Amino acid sequence: MTADGRFPRHGMQEDGLASAGPAPAGSVPAASTAAADRAGPGVATPDDGWLRVHPASPFVRGWVALAAIGFFFGRDIFERTLQGRPMFEDGFAGRVPWLVAGGGAVLLVAVLSFVLTWYFTKYQVSGGYVRVNTGFLFRQQRQARLDRVQAIDIVQPLLARIFGLAELKFEVADAGESAVRLAYLKIDDAQQLRATILARAAGIDDDAENPGAPAPEAPEYPVLSVPPSRLIGSLLLSEQSLFVVVGGVASVVLSAVTDNRAFYFYLIPAALGLAASYWNLFNKGYNFTAAISPDGIRLRYGLLDTQAQTLPPGRIQALKISQPPLWRPFGWYRMQVNVAGYGLLDNAGEASSRTTLLPVGKLDDAMNMLALVLPDPGTSRPAEVFGAGLTGLDSDGGFVTTPRRARLLAPLGWRRNGFAATDTALLIRSGRWWRNLVLVPHQRTQSMALHQGPLARRFRVADLVLHTTAGPVVPRLMQAGLDEARALFDEQSARARLARKRQTTEQWLRQVAPPGAEPDSQAAETWPLGNEAHQQQEGPQHG
Amino acid sequence: MRTEAIDPPGIDWHRVSPKFVTVRLVQWALGNLAAVVILSLPLVFVLLEWWRWPPLWLAITVPAVTLVVALWRLVLIPRQVRAIGYAERDDDLLVRSGIFFQRTMAVPYGRMQYVDVAVGPVERSLGLCTVKLHTASPGTNAHIPGLPEAEGARLREQLAARGEARLAGL
Repeated sequence: MTADGRFPRHGMQEDGLASAGPAPAGSVPAASTAAADRAGPGVATPDDGWLRVHPASPFVRGWVALAAIGFFFGRDIFERTLQGRPMFEDGFAGRVPWLVAGGGAVLLVAVLSFVLTWYFTKYQVSGGYVRVNTGFLFRQQRQARLDRVQAIDIVQPLLARIFGLAELKFEVADAGESAVRLAYLKIDDAQQLRATILARAAGIDDDAENPGAPAPEAPEYPVLSVPPSRLIGSLLLSEQSLFVVVGGVASVVLSAVTDNRAFYFYLIPAALGLAASYWNLFNKGYNFTAAISPDGIRLRYGLLDTQAQTLPPGRIQALKISQPPLWRPFGWYRMQVNVAGYGLLDNAGEASSRTTLLPVGKLDDAMNMLALVLPDPGTSRPAEVFGAGLTGLDSDGGFVTTPRRARLLAPLGWRRNGFAATDTALLIRSGRWWRNLVLVPHQRTQSMALHQGPLARRFRVADLVLHTTAGPVVPRLMQAGLDEARALFDEQSARARLARKRQTTEQWLRQVAPPGAEPDSQAAETWPLGNEAHQQQEGPQHG
Repeated sequence: MRTEAIDPPGIDWHRVSPKFVTVRLVQWALGNLAAVVILSLPLVFVLLEWWRWPPLWLAITVPAVTLVVALWRLVLIPRQVRAIGYAERDDDLLVRSGIFFQRTMAVPYGRMQYVDVAVGPVERSLGLCTVKLHTASPGTNAHIPGLPEAEGARLREQLAARGEARLAGL
């Protein structure tokens, strides 16, 4: 029996995660699961660590189907009642048995499939793996290595929230669907499972005396929250609102010029779409709070549907801080991240909310979050360097900008476009009106390329592109001077190489930092929260 | 091979096989000639007086411009092929391409997730292959086309071995 034949998902997961290298660990757990499977369904008891999701979950997930059945049979009767006709037409009695039988059959099939789906969905966390078995006709057995976790989300749609249930999503780096989705668990169980997974992934072993004992939830310290008033303000002043105003003015002018009143009817769908979009942003961004724990950054948000994300340390591949022009008077910033597990999700709205590290925040908030993402800023004066990245011009904070000779290529941005490298990350800033600061930790640089078109060659400048995992952040250094770009290309290769060597394990609490990787104590004093966050990561707080 | 402005100095570039020009020519013929033929059809119909529209000048201009652009691309092909180069350094692979729009890419061995070798029908008849490198980033678009089969196989093995030796996570 080959492990591959029985575990079609296994190969893919491993390859997506374990790099091109050897993954000998894969064969052993595969065999152990195979043994469990061979013993048949009889072993699927909680004693073996196999658990089932909450029995109500198929109904919570499939309520649309049930509602559709109800609607189908109820509509006719309802319409008749409204029209004042007799509720049942003549000869109805003759058809009653057929109707009841048909409806009952549909309902039975639906409920039966729900129950079977529930019965055959089992999950287990043990031996460094999370395993999920699903399906009764087409069976799927999936396992994912815990230390490959990129993010864990607990999602509560409104209906699930009413019943006290939650969905747990376990993300690994294949940028597709979630590796493991457990819908639905009781909210307490989901949080407990998250704590267990994170503790195992961090490298904390099972308690020897009491194996399988639940891991305690890691302590967390709140960092910031976004008040609703600021969220509403940020939405009203967003880029989208600018387009709405422009579009509104244009349509009024158009209708006045063409004297065509019917024109407005075409705007109704657009207005509905906009309202939905604003509502979605408000719903997703409401009550946004961020906290830090030894397990990484915790984000919570949502009005009706709530979501709690956990990003373990070192999982953020790239980060962007941006400021639209209308936010500038208020000093607001937005932060977005690339995380390998989030990648390109099927649902664009969901992806945009999950990759948002901070929907809107003041400078202090942005700096605090930055300190969480990059506990060691790699420079002795982080506030100055990162401040210059956000708002500075020219060579403030050690930035190297587009040379003066190329100012015609970027008449507005040439004093802003630039880069600065600290010991731990590369900072790329751009945009005079739409301010952007992109930050890529050296450890996370994948590959990079220099680009030069004919016009850029004429001005002796070049673009440097850093390749990172799929996401909203696309790091591109625009129009750097040729010599600077070439030097950076070489230096960045060397820095990334060094950083890769320093990175030892993905089990973050086991991470053994060589002397060179110690944070600068000078930096920690001025870097907001940097000291605190780092110490939390070093102490084994899981107990 | 001439070292362009954006290339790191002192690199000994490997060039791809000159036979790759043939592959590019076939691709060019399939794409551009077909486009020119299709765009010339209105001209034929107008000359045969089957169609009243478009006017004669338009019917001539469109295929003529397409043909000129196609010929321009044809002239560039040998130079473009000569501009493709790769070099194995100690810790990364350099890939360069382009004349007008130049690109020099560095892919660290430790970041490679997998290496593909692809062969198309025309390439197969000429004994060529294409090596593609993939990292965790979709932006890494590193293709080395037009390698002799033996060189492609050697490069693949070499890259896999070096990738394993310098393996890093994400």
